[in-house]
Amino acid sequence: MALSNLIYNGIFKRNSVFVATVFAGAFAFGIGFDTGVTKFYDSYNKGKQWKDIRHKYIQED
Amino acid sequence: MASFQVLKKAVSLAPTTRTLSSGVPYAPLLNLAVRAPHDAHGHGHGVEARSDVAPQWAGGPSKVGSSLVSKSFTTIPPTLNYQQRLMHTSRALKNANETPDFSAYRSSNTDGNRALSYFMVGSMGVISASAAKSSISEFLQTMAASADVLALAKVEVELAAIPEGKNVIIKWRGKPVFIRHRTSSEIQEARSTDWKGLRDPESDDARVKKPEWLVMLGVCTHLGCVPIGEAGDFGGWFCPCHGSHYDISGRIRKGPAPLNLEVPAYEFSEADEKLIIG
Repeated sequence: MALSNLIYNGIFKRNSVFVATVFAGAFAFGIGFDTGVTKFYDSYNKGKQWKDIRHKYIQED
Repeated sequence: MASFQVLKKAVSLAPTTRTLSSGVPYAPLLNLAVRAPHDAHGHGHGVEARSDVAPQWAGGPSKVGSSLVSKSFTTIPPTLNYQQRLMHTSRALKNANETPDFSAYRSSNTDGNRALSYFMVGSMGVISASAAKSSISEFLQTMAASADVLALAKVEVELAAIPEGKNVIIKWRGKPVFIRHRTSSEIQEARSTDWKGLRDPESDDARVKKPEWLVMLGVCTHLGCVPIGEAGDFGGWFCPCHGSHYDISGRIRKGPAPLNLEVPAYEFSEADEKLIIG
């Protein structure tokens, strides 16, 4: 009850704060979503991508 | 007995024998002034108007001369019995006990529900804004140069392979690029020129990043021929097409060309051993 009141008064009460929070949240969500999907893709295709097998073909000097 | 005769006379009408020219049947025995017997009731209220007979002022049949006329007045005087008509005829219920009692379904935690509702709206906004942003940026990325184009856009040159006082011509984005390793006397000559009086005034400092390396596009600014190195009246380049002379800093000195040879974007890297154009 106290927490929901706190959230309402802090974020939802003023539309300007609400919209700003939504945009900031969208920014963070976009980055997080991207990172998460990339991580999942890399783990799903482990050993198939060039960055995983590069060391077999190219010797760094 | 006499009144009974009158009534009988009125009800059993004599047959009409002819019709008047006005269309009214001629009935000479019809007594229009007849009144219903009021003494038959025996109420003792005299000869007042009866409630079951229309009053005289409301119209009715009357005899004018020898013809029968029936009138019904349309402008009937209003009755004097006014009664206020109300909008609602049903009585308001003081206690509406037919309404179901919803208090058992009412939430006591309205603050939490309000916060949750707004949170849902905000989450929808977050996801839509993110989707819109990613749609736009993905669309804009389709306009960007692809990786193979970008890979061809840069050229690396090993500077150690170019001895002092020599020209190298390389191809960059389909155009020749002149790279000259200038000697100290050439640098001296390029710097000492009074460049303010030239056709396209530009100092040697503005044209090179390091004085010993001169990098220019090898395209004559006149009509796009490729000038010849180490030629011309000023010890620099000479365009054989129309005779433009460029000096050792690539500035136009003589001939039809309007501008100095163009300097591309370039940089030195890896401890000044490599030159990257682009």
